[in-house]
Amino acid sequence: MIDTAALLDALNMLFSDSTPWLIVIPGIAIGLLFGAVPGLQISMAMAIFLPMTLYMDFMQAMLFLTAIFTGGSFGGSIPAILMNIPGTSSAIATAFDGYPMARQGQHNLALGTALAASCIGVIIGYAILFLLINPISKLVLKVGPLEMAVVILWGITLIGSLSSGSLLRGAISGLMGLLIGTIGYSEAGVARGTFGSPYLLDGVPAIPAMIGMFAASELFRLAKSNYLVEDSAARTVNVRQILSGFKRATADPVILTRGSLIGVFVGAIPGVGSSVANLLSYIFTKRRAAEPESFGRGNPRGVVASEAANSTSEAGSMATLLALGIPGGGATAVMLAAFAMHNITGGPQFIREEADVVYAVILANFGQAFLLIGLGLLLIPILANLVRVPMNYLVPSVLSLAVFGSFGLTGDLRGPITVLVFSLLGWLFKRYDYSVPAAVIGILLSTMAEDSMIYSYQISGGQWSYVLERPIALGILGLLVLSVFGNRLVDALTRGART
Amino acid sequence: MSSPTPQKERVADLLVLLVLAGLVVLYCASAIDASAHLLNLILVLPVSALILICCAIQFVLLIRQLRSPVEDLVEDETEPKDRVADVLPVMVLFSLYVLSLNWLGFDVGTFLFIGAFLWLHGERRWLWLLAYAFVFASLISIFFATMLPYPMPMLILSHVSLIS
Repeated sequence: MIDTAALLDALNMLFSDSTPWLIVIPGIAIGLLFGAVPGLQISMAMAIFLPMTLYMDFMQAMLFLTAIFTGGSFGGSIPAILMNIPGTSSAIATAFDGYPMARQGQHNLALGTALAASCIGVIIGYAILFLLINPISKLVLKVGPLEMAVVILWGITLIGSLSSGSLLRGAISGLMGLLIGTIGYSEAGVARGTFGSPYLLDGVPAIPAMIGMFAASELFRLAKSNYLVEDSAARTVNVRQILSGFKRATADPVILTRGSLIGVFVGAIPGVGSSVANLLSYIFTKRRAAEPESFGRGNPRGVVASEAANSTSEAGSMATLLALGIPGGGATAVMLAAFAMHNITGGPQFIREEADVVYAVILANFGQAFLLIGLGLLLIPILANLVRVPMNYLVPSVLSLAVFGSFGLTGDLRGPITVLVFSLLGWLFKRYDYSVPAAVIGILLSTMAEDSMIYSYQISGGQWSYVLERPIALGILGLLVLSVFGNRLVDALTRGART
Repeated sequence: MSSPTPQKERVADLLVLLVLAGLVVLYCASAIDASAHLLNLILVLPVSALILICCAIQFVLLIRQLRSPVEDLVEDETEPKDRVADVLPVMVLFSLYVLSLNWLGFDVGTFLFIGAFLWLHGERRWLWLLAYAFVFASLISIFFATMLPYPMPMLILSHVSLIS
């Protein structure tokens, strides 16, 4: 399973010279900064710094880009915890409990917990990749469009039922999100729901919509508060508490391991990645918890589950990129561009012939995780001071930041206008108990859902019996039914047994 | 201003539900109008149908709640709702900010938005208010204008050679 000669070559490449490590520290810092600023995406950071890798050899380029990826995967959790703005779509579930923790004055604990879960997640993820890169690449090929469509439907149903008080309102929200995501040109080249507006032809920009629904709508509500943390005694930056949060994450090895496994396998599915992995891990943790009602109200286990999965999905998407040459998301797409710039093609042949480089990238990520611990512990105390800023200064500053960031994402005023429209919609949803996370996930995944359905239809020739030939899809469908009706079924059976 | 009564809240809830259902019907009609081909409607049609079914069930539940005694409705309210009057000024200000960006540019627009927000929320130290709005708007505008690969609408900073 492990090529020992290639492993020794990899160790030699990494440790015979300090040069490869010199670019890792700035890489992590860049990732942290871009992840922490709402609107600046990890993929954007990688794209901006991609031309610099032309002057590096392939190994160094990979280390630099994966360092940005590693830093960014934790960086996204900082605004998610402190401002309820997931810096990246992979930190959505981190905000569910991280932000309520911050509101209760436990921001130090939440940030420490997120950092530990991220770093441990990266280590576990790359350890799994190190051992299983070959089997994972074979498994990924078995996941077809039908399985993807069913996974998406399952994810939205679960999120809707868990993040809203009512299953019906949750389902309405998630499905509305799916519909919103289909606005604009379809796969068939037809413009839908644009109502004559040229701005909608390319569809609703998903990340600005997410920023509007999650962040701006929450900021409207917070404008009347004095501080993010109302209790002045809790409004402190406490390194001991950050360290205690760091230790806290290690108290849940099962959640960490489960999150990491979900992260690796979901991250390996092209196009799904960390945006779905963090939510699935959160859902599993909540469903298996003794007190599921404490989730969404500041349970640190929610932060652990989300961060373990989103940081591990980096390893999963790297598996697909290295083994099949298929990028799992925006960040790995930039890495694919780096491959092309260095005249390298990923895939089974690359793994066979350049096994030393593959192992070196994997081993370097272990090192990056430890460096992230140091850099994170240095930077968190600075960033946590945000809770000391009065709300009348914080709210307009963050709203402006969201507007600038959204412009950065679309390159025109569609971004800011989308933030505005979805901030109003998000406020309305929150006020009337519709699930904002389900709607956002629906928007993010709608294109993938529609494409998967079209491909499934084309492959099957419109025959329903095709579903029966796909055991994985059937299994996930079974899980979906169990997720929605499982509790009622158990209740009914228990009642039946008692009477 | 007093909080809206639970009965009024339920009516508003019902109206929101009806608006959502209406929007779904409108969108579905637009999609069918654009093309009735199966590939165009493969997701839109089943999803719309599911939403409308959920809305119909929710509608029945809400009507039942509306008919139940007011005392039950009061017990239903576990969390206090935001008052529209509290958030409306912020929404209006934010809308004006975003919609004026094309004319005022990000630099002047942000300066005015932050200044107006601070004044609206009780900041009366004029020098401090203007200084904060100016420094924040300048820094954020320069940072994004230099980082992004495309031009940003700016009223004053577009004349600065560093970022133009």
